[in-house]
Amino acid sequence: MSTPALSVSRLEVHYGSTRILHDVSVEVGPGEAVAVLGPSGSGKTTLLYAVAGFVSPSAGTIRLDGAAVADSAFSLPPERRAVGMVFQNYALWPHLPALEIVAYPLRRGGMGRLEARREAARLLDLVGVADLAHRKPAEMSGGQQQRIGLARALARRPQLYLFDEPTAHLDSALRAALQQELVERRRASGAAALYATHDAAEALAVADRVLLLRDGRVIQLGTPNEIYERPADLWSARLTGPAWSVPGVVADGFLEVLGVTMPVDEGVPGGSVDVVIRPDWIVPGVGVSATVTGAWYRGSHTDYRLETGDGPVEMRRVGPVEWRIGERVEVRVERAWPVPSST
Amino acid sequence: MSASRLRPALGVAFMAVVFGLLVGYPLVELVRAAAEEGWSAIGEALSSGGTAGAVGNTLLVGGAVTVLSVGIATGAALITERAARPGWMRLGMLLPLVIPPFVSALGWAEAYGPAGLVDDWLGVSLPGLFGGFGVVIVITVNAAPLAYLVIAAGLASRTDPDFERAARASGASAIVAFRTVTLPLLRPAVVSAAGIVFVVAVNSFGVPVLLGSPAGFGTMTTHIYRDLALSADPVAFTRVLSLAAGLVVLTLIVVASSDTASWLRGIAVRPGSPQGSAVRSGVARSAMGSLAVYVTLTSLVPLLALLLTALTKAVGLPRTPSNWTLGNFREALDGAGAAFTNSLLLATAAALLAVVLGGAVAALGRRWQGMGTGVVLTFAVPGSALAVAVLLAYGNPFRDTLTIILIAYLAKFWALGHRPIAGSLDNVPPDLYRAARASGASPLTMLRTITVPLLLPAVVAGLVMVFLFAFHELTMSVLLYGPGSETLAVVILNLRQLGDVTVTAAMAVTLTGVVLAAAAILVAVRRVWVR
Repeated sequence: MSTPALSVSRLEVHYGSTRILHDVSVEVGPGEAVAVLGPSGSGKTTLLYAVAGFVSPSAGTIRLDGAAVADSAFSLPPERRAVGMVFQNYALWPHLPALEIVAYPLRRGGMGRLEARREAARLLDLVGVADLAHRKPAEMSGGQQQRIGLARALARRPQLYLFDEPTAHLDSALRAALQQELVERRRASGAAALYATHDAAEALAVADRVLLLRDGRVIQLGTPNEIYERPADLWSARLTGPAWSVPGVVADGFLEVLGVTMPVDEGVPGGSVDVVIRPDWIVPGVGVSATVTGAWYRGSHTDYRLETGDGPVEMRRVGPVEWRIGERVEVRVERAWPVPSST
Repeated sequence: MSASRLRPALGVAFMAVVFGLLVGYPLVELVRAAAEEGWSAIGEALSSGGTAGAVGNTLLVGGAVTVLSVGIATGAALITERAARPGWMRLGMLLPLVIPPFVSALGWAEAYGPAGLVDDWLGVSLPGLFGGFGVVIVITVNAAPLAYLVIAAGLASRTDPDFERAARASGASAIVAFRTVTLPLLRPAVVSAAGIVFVVAVNSFGVPVLLGSPAGFGTMTTHIYRDLALSADPVAFTRVLSLAAGLVVLTLIVVASSDTASWLRGIAVRPGSPQGSAVRSGVARSAMGSLAVYVTLTSLVPLLALLLTALTKAVGLPRTPSNWTLGNFREALDGAGAAFTNSLLLATAAALLAVVLGGAVAALGRRWQGMGTGVVLTFAVPGSALAVAVLLAYGNPFRDTLTIILIAYLAKFWALGHRPIAGSLDNVPPDLYRAARASGASPLTMLRTITVPLLLPAVVAGLVMVFLFAFHELTMSVLLYGPGSETLAVVILNLRQLGDVTVTAAMAVTLTGVVLAAAAILVAVRRVWVR
């Protein structure tokens, strides 16, 4: 197996006496993108700062390409780690035009002024903002600024990219376009990435694996599909997409929920459980009778709120509104995921 | 024109008249009087009485103080904003701001002068404290906090710790990141700070008159004082006019070229993000240590020395408890009771009126920006020159009265009443007003329930600031007072020049106590309201 681009093991970080990260371990393979998903205050930015070298671990080790860059005793300064960072607030230096901003890492790498400018111009062209070369950040939109931020990170030609909520300050149309740009450029470069975000849809879309953080601890680490279909608990389920929970019973390898019985994985302990049901896991059919209490038409699909008697769930159907509020409808659960009961 | 549009126009016109009377007319009178003398008379006057030397000394003091203050302030700002940010550090750095400069000079003389506290304890005194060197050092200590405010605000608002992080992540070492990112971003703030400090240094009167004059080191302001207050020679009066006009011109040139006005307007320290630290804790500790030593040596020791002198029975006795007495304070209250009342009256009246006038200008600010700028610029006009101008304009009929002193205070300190309110008005998002109206509030209800409560802290801040500065004002008061209208600061200066060291120390301590109490109110107001 090849050396991971990033290896974080048993990382602890304190700010003063407050513990921000606790026992965080994750490996990012060469060319792999790992999303760090968590609500604000969960420690996403701190994890990225520790990898970049802006904060020092109080315990644990950080390795880049197999070489230790930080542990509790020493910490390599940021400029000597091969990482490229894209910041949430862009962090473009207001006194420099775009061309000089992108040339900055090249100059620090020892490149001559003219060559650095040529290369910077090429990178600006690559991210589609060649025409902004002589503008300063104040004269650009947020989307344009973040493209410059991306070009600056690309100019560093790092082994690992650190994306700190790069699209958080953009509106939704721009966000999708920039997200695509980030993913494509990163993939083309062949480098690995750690991508912090609080947006589940973004995390599932951009990453090969997703790391779930809560209060500075790793709750779950898996592929986007695992994270979505097999959440570790109710909190994870709700963080990673729309999710509802109803009571169920596990016995002899089978789960009973909302009038249907389905096999469960080996090792799921028997007894009462909470059962996670996502809107796309429930369809009209023979199972349980429910009352429609809400219907939201969203263009490509419609979300229905259903009262089942065991609690509310949501059902997503392609197309416009078919059932009105107050109507009774027979629904069947096609997929369900038991998690430890929270009560 | 409808009534609702006519009223603001009337307001603007009224305030323009007030501004013209308080500021415009006196300054025009000053320039006119100076011009009437003619170039040859001015040239003659300037070549007499050591005036040329005083101009040279002023520029020398201004330059030296600027270089030193900006250096100290930049270092201190980097320490408090980047390395470590305990609140007491900032307060310590700002402490000299609330100690009247002439009290500072007295304190330094008692601490580091011959037969001072340090001489008592260690047998050494600071050579050259009386003279140009001492003048530069003590003005630097007093001016550095202003530069610190501007540079720290610049550091907090113009540079984001992320800018430095982005540079480090781009391969720059800490030093390269400072040189290529932090410093260029900070340059406008440094230039403005330099402008402000230069103006303050050139303005300074209390320090040079106490530490410079005894050693024959005169500046433009001490010469204006000497020639106006202590001489009846007509050539001396020509010198006064020339020096005052020269000071105004010099100040305006500096203010215009350093964009100081916009910074004077913007002074407000905004806290940065709490995770700003990229400096190792060892470095941070030693930096904080040196800052603590600086504050102790420059502010605390002089204040302590002054207090001990005020408590000691007579000059020359060791400042030990066995020689302590409260007699100096009793004598101070007896001798300066009337002056104390005058200062209290003047400062209170100035505070109330300046806040009303300042609030009016702020309220009209959206219609007429220039007025606010004029008010702020007047604050930069040297007190010595402003006092001469006010004397020319209103000497008849107000000579030697409290009224003429009040006029000068209002002209000078109008900006202090204006800025907090204008700043606060600017900072209230207009949506708050719209939300009030959309919630059913009439314009008057909105004013009462939203605008006034939001402005109250600024009004209190303005009141206290004006009170604080007016209460220890010396430069203008000493040129305008007459029998019966002495202020506390004037009495302290006069008595000190007669040589009564212990009683003046007691008076200075009393005055500083009042000023510190006012400042403490200001800090408390910020704590309670602004959070």
